[in-house]
Amino acid sequence: MSDQTKISEAADMLQTAYDSSNPCLPVRTMLDEGDIDAAYAVQEINSIRRLEGGARLVGRKIGLTSKQVQKQLGVDRPDFGLLFDDMAVPDGEEVPASAVLQPRVEGEITYILEKDLTMERPTTTDVVSAIAYASASIEIVGSRIKDWDINIQDTIADNASAALMVIGNDKVFLDEFDGRMCGMVMENRGEPVSVGAGVACLGHPINAVRWLAEEMVRRGRPLSAGDMVMSGALGPMVKVEPGEVYEVRISGLGSARAAFAPE
Amino acid sequence: MGNKFDDLAATIDDAARKGDAIAQLSEASAFTLPQAYDIQEKSIGLRLARGEFRVGMKMGFTSRAKIIQMGVDDMIWGRLTDGMLVEDGGEISFADYVHPRVEPEVAYLLKEPLEGPVTTIQAMSAVEAMAPALEIIDSRYKDFKFTVEDVVADNASSSGFVVGPWCHAEFDHSNLGMIMEFDGRPVQIGSTAAILGNPARSLAAASRMVAEFGERLEAGWIIMAGGATAAEALRPGVSVRNSVEHLGSVGFKVSA
Repeated sequence: MSDQTKISEAADMLQTAYDSSNPCLPVRTMLDEGDIDAAYAVQEINSIRRLEGGARLVGRKIGLTSKQVQKQLGVDRPDFGLLFDDMAVPDGEEVPASAVLQPRVEGEITYILEKDLTMERPTTTDVVSAIAYASASIEIVGSRIKDWDINIQDTIADNASAALMVIGNDKVFLDEFDGRMCGMVMENRGEPVSVGAGVACLGHPINAVRWLAEEMVRRGRPLSAGDMVMSGALGPMVKVEPGEVYEVRISGLGSARAAFAPE
Repeated sequence: MGNKFDDLAATIDDAARKGDAIAQLSEASAFTLPQAYDIQEKSIGLRLARGEFRVGMKMGFTSRAKIIQMGVDDMIWGRLTDGMLVEDGGEISFADYVHPRVEPEVAYLLKEPLEGPVTTIQAMSAVEAMAPALEIIDSRYKDFKFTVEDVVADNASSSGFVVGPWCHAEFDHSNLGMIMEFDGRPVQIGSTAAILGNPARSLAAASRMVAEFGERLEAGWIIMAGGATAAEALRPGVSVRNSVEHLGSVGFKVSA
């Protein structure tokens, strides 16, 4: 078991990095090697801080959903972070690149739930029946850890590197698109900078949502009606440059834009 | 000079026929890009002289990343003959190739010829149908290493192609998801958007590029639009499939 004092110190370090916009060193060295629960305990401390500060919990994000990224980090499972109302950016609204530490963008499908998912072992059918609709989205991730030098414990402790999100304005029902086959392209200045398809997210993005639903019950924050779930990247992450606009289009789901103000 | 290019064309043709790796042609003496296309034409000419016939062309370097990686400023193209066609669901023998790789693509079938520079709309109006496709690329050069002139002389590495069911192309196909599987497991994931942002642009470019060498795209030709992902190395016994959103799938096997 990782040391409780170390866990709260790690949380303080990350919070300070977040507040001061000065990235910190990795926190993994402060936790027992491979102790995932301790990393989530760090995350939870800072989540409670945000909730106490008045932020509203609006959903979750799933990370590490691509086989390639899992291989890079030497893990065999995804992770999750919490999404708050103050992270939401309207489609195309400019954000200062400095609003996020070391920003990167990825294109993914966001699902919006209309039912609670409180069962201990939710089936795919339970999950599909709980989803109201889907939208194209861009996750703007950032790392509070210097140079993105992260392992799975670092990113979990850092709220799965969540920062901001742009959810597209189109509401699409599950029978209107092919979640596995749908193409994803992110364009910057007319060039495709990241391409992929639904299958890149754990074989099908719904597989990721099912994993999350079970994990959230286990960790005491079950998914409920109205929650949004950013299900995981469909193509490689792209480093953000100030002044640039990144547009994601997902076949059958419409589009979303993340626009960054010049420096 | 004609003789020298004839020799180089024969060297390439021989390597392709025997499945043997050769040294880069440019190592012996440098030649220009237009000369590389001459060598290609001569080497494909040897195939035609043996009774094969021309069925279309292929585009290469159709992603910005590849163009930058190769240090060139345009795409490249190669010639397709019926001898390179592998049947959908068919089988190839690993021994016939040097170090074959496979790329997921889409193919166009033309109902009308296309000549010279055309717009994307003009290009698409000449299209009868499109299909999911796979290209077997196999550089005849040792270690798959080459200059742009070498690869053009080597028919842009093209050595085989597989075309799936033809579908109507009158819809926006600029962002169709693509999954290439080996033995049922995804090995490459992408979208048609990786091909110049829209594969129809590759078709328009094909018309422009062959015109520089006095050719036009003929009705009935198959145009391979270019790779949508990185290539994967083939191995004996593997079963390959490319599925394209809304278009269906195409596949072949490598014999064990």
